[in-house]
Amino acid sequence: MAPRLAHAVLVAVLSLPPLSARAAPVRLGFINSMTGPEAPIGENLTNGADLAVEDLKQRGIDVVLLKQDDGGKQQNAMSAIEQLATGEEVAAVVGPYTSASSNAVAPLAQQYEVPLLIPAAAKEELTRAGRSYVFRLNAPAHVYAASLLDAVLALGQPKTIAFVYESTDFGSSVSNAGKQLAQKKGLEIVADEAYQKGAPDYRSTLSKIKAQNPDLVFMVSYVADAILLMRQSREVGLKPQAFLGGGAGFDTAQFEAERTISNLVYSVTQWTPDTGWPGAAEFAARYQARFRKKPTYHAACAYAAVLVAGEAAAGAGGDPKKTREALARGSWTGVLGPVRFESFDGFTNQNRHVMPVVQYQDGKAQTVWPAQFAKRKAVYPFPGWK
Amino acid sequence: MILLLQAILSGVLVGGVYALIGIGLTLIFGVMRVINFAHGELVMLGMYVTWLLFVKLGWDPYLSILAVAPLLFVWGAVLQTTVVNRVLDALPQNQILLTIGLGLVMSNAVMLAATSDYRLVSTSYSSASFDLGGLSVSYPLLLSFLVTVAVTVALYLFLLRTDTGQAIRATAQDRLAAQLMGIDVRRMSVLAFGLGAALAGVAGALVAPTYYIYPQVGAAFTLKAFVIVVLGGMGSVVGATLAGVLIGVTESLAAVYVASGLKELVVYVLFLVLLLVKPSGLLGKTRA
Repeated sequence: MAPRLAHAVLVAVLSLPPLSARAAPVRLGFINSMTGPEAPIGENLTNGADLAVEDLKQRGIDVVLLKQDDGGKQQNAMSAIEQLATGEEVAAVVGPYTSASSNAVAPLAQQYEVPLLIPAAAKEELTRAGRSYVFRLNAPAHVYAASLLDAVLALGQPKTIAFVYESTDFGSSVSNAGKQLAQKKGLEIVADEAYQKGAPDYRSTLSKIKAQNPDLVFMVSYVADAILLMRQSREVGLKPQAFLGGGAGFDTAQFEAERTISNLVYSVTQWTPDTGWPGAAEFAARYQARFRKKPTYHAACAYAAVLVAGEAAAGAGGDPKKTREALARGSWTGVLGPVRFESFDGFTNQNRHVMPVVQYQDGKAQTVWPAQFAKRKAVYPFPGWK
Repeated sequence: MILLLQAILSGVLVGGVYALIGIGLTLIFGVMRVINFAHGELVMLGMYVTWLLFVKLGWDPYLSILAVAPLLFVWGAVLQTTVVNRVLDALPQNQILLTIGLGLVMSNAVMLAATSDYRLVSTSYSSASFDLGGLSVSYPLLLSFLVTVAVTVALYLFLLRTDTGQAIRATAQDRLAAQLMGIDVRRMSVLAFGLGAALAGVAGALVAPTYYIYPQVGAAFTLKAFVIVVLGGMGSVVGATLAGVLIGVTESLAAVYVASGLKELVVYVLFLVLLLVKPSGLLGKTRA
């Protein structure tokens, strides 16, 4: 027994690459909403990040991913980055998920001089404060609104629009951008309704909107409120030319599966498997096989963010300042398409990401805009409830 | 005009379910003078039982009330005898801490067992409605409201007509006097907590087809139930019924005529004003 054990140990030691060739593992922080109301989306981010760590390992980059849960709360996110930056001495931090948490963490990242790579939060201001240490991979709020409005204006001639959105950082920044754009494009805003998320009853709000008879209804909400809003829209018989969903809750597998109420709803998204971005389809298949769930865009965003941060940090030898420079200079291509952090129109370190628009057709999200990604023809106008 | 009627209708229907949650809480408070801050979690348990029966056995959510009510009754009775009973004479803050703790244990245990995923009970009628003179009436809400009315009427009859019901009311009125009259107040406490839990569970089952379910869903209901109980007058079952409907209608009207984002604000401002004018609540008796 003993000689065999010794033999096994010897083989194991010899099969390791020589120490000199193997750099010390890169330490990355990861802040995410693993518990709390946003946890179902947070799970996608965690899974995406885990896949990225595996892929980095295959490329010879050892990453230690230090995961911190913010529970969807700003104060937890703030203590998480303080611990990661000062205690754990990470090279960079990926996260947090929500706009509210990211907004709280961004100034601290700048203060501690640790690069922060935001994978999926939309609030405009996150990359508009001239912070050299804050990078964002996904498209910000105005792109959500612009993509959706461009898509429907290419399909028909709506004249009026109503906004319904949850009163959170994410909800109000996407709808504010939407309102400005709508006015620019000559649409009349007939309703502007912010709501407290998690309420069981939106019927009165929706009846009020129905009374205005808008051509477009633009909704922004996290997770399950999207399903509630659409269920109750059906109940009160709200029937615009198109329902526009601003990502998040309108872009989940659960929403897709509710076909009575999701059918023909438009949603904007950061990612779909069928965009033709390198590795996007393979990523979706691999994710599905591993976690037995369909990946949402959050998973792809976190995956791409951890890959980018890992490569940048490895190239910089794990030094936060050099990692920052590597992020600012580098360019990557992957499941989210081309990635480069640029400064433009008041943004700093913002990736110019193109957002596809999908339409749910019989329980399946089909990419319908822009033309280069479109796989199906969009149905417009909305023919009414079944 | 249609809009006003629609708002009032939705408000009354939603308020009915709020009332049911409030009645359970007020019953527990009336008999034991303990504010059950885990009440929302009992609603949450009712929702999860409904969801489980729906997913595993294909039970209709309204049918599952038959299972949810007894299950939650037993659970409530167990909680009362094993934990809550020990703090009946303790300081109020200790009672509050205990029930908050119970709530945390329940929501986190459910999270451990069922993960934090949002669950939906999507029935064929989850978004169905019919037209009533231009008003859209939600099927599931109307059904829930009718069940609420039936349960509330049954509860009134029980409390007013049966010996046990009278004993519960006597205990609520004056625990010591009731004891001197030969009423087993400990049994009444167990009964009241069980009934309160069962009502919360039934409310959970009624909400399930139109709402979504996750482990922390209870917190919102606890707050609402607490407001209903205080507004209606601590311990008053009729008051809680009125207050539930009143809050439902106020929310609904505020969403239409003020702003959707401010409906809670309107509710709480009215709540404060009412407490200033009538500190004992709508139907509460001022206690010396």
